[in-house]
Amino acid sequence: MKIRGIKPMQDAHVNVTPLIDIIMCLIIFFLLVGHIAKAASVKGIKIPAAKNGKDLRDKSNQLIINLVPPTGGYGNDAMPSILIWSNRIPENQLAAYLRKQKSDNPAIKVVLRADRSIPYRFIAPVLISCAQARIASIHFMTRRPG
Amino acid sequence: MPLSTKHKSRRMHAAHHVGPNMTPMVDVVMVILIFFMLGSSFVSPDWYLTNNTPAIKGGLSDVKTNAMPATRINIKLRVRGTRTIAILPGLQTADLSGELATFLTSKHKALVKGVPVQIFISPSNGVPYKDVITTYSDCIQARFKQVAFRPPPAR
Repeated sequence: MKIRGIKPMQDAHVNVTPLIDIIMCLIIFFLLVGHIAKAASVKGIKIPAAKNGKDLRDKSNQLIINLVPPTGGYGNDAMPSILIWSNRIPENQLAAYLRKQKSDNPAIKVVLRADRSIPYRFIAPVLISCAQARIASIHFMTRRPG
Repeated sequence: MPLSTKHKSRRMHAAHHVGPNMTPMVDVVMVILIFFMLGSSFVSPDWYLTNNTPAIKGGLSDVKTNAMPATRINIKLRVRGTRTIAILPGLQTADLSGELATFLTSKHKALVKGVPVQIFISPSNGVPYKDVITTYSDCIQARFKQVAFRPPPAR
């Protein structure tokens, strides 16, 4: 006698297309974020430690000013480089640059990312330029101690 | 010639397998995604000292500074050899993160509640940025709200 069993099931495939779409979006997101973070911050800066810092919740409208120490020390009138978005800004043009940024975006916040060894005589002009550009909000980028 | 029922079902069954095999691609893509997610979590989060009173320089007529309280404490930072010394009324110390922080905290506690105080940090030309930041951090720890930086003396 011929026994008729259950029909063999057809291959049940999970539709992976939406999964791939989402994962690809996430990968592109991470790639872009990494690229932007790399462009905003410059290598070769050892930021100082601070016990009483805090995490900034609102990271919009930030303008990161990088102060990179000269490679050969501070002899022969060597000065730290001022870099904003990887562009070198001369110290005497910083106030004008910040004024332009402030007029373009009144809510701008300056983040100072300076090397811990830089003498104060090179930090003060940056702070004064911010004051001249009427930027009232300055954040000093630090790291947690330890 | 019309196909028999048997032939039709074979053809339909074959149609289900048309298309590239996505499994290896999904595997690779998932590995890349996990790599990026883990990589981003290893990056330490940013840590900031915030300041709403930027450097004040005498003679900058176009700069509108915040109203300054009458009670003021001036913290001078000077370089002695390889160390930075904080000098203020009642204290002279090289222990910036310890003794200075304790002194400022006790000073704040001794003040009449509600009386605003303006702190000035006045580093000399050669004071390293890390010592300026440590002093500023001490002021925040002591709960002083108005802290400003003075420009260094002219060279």
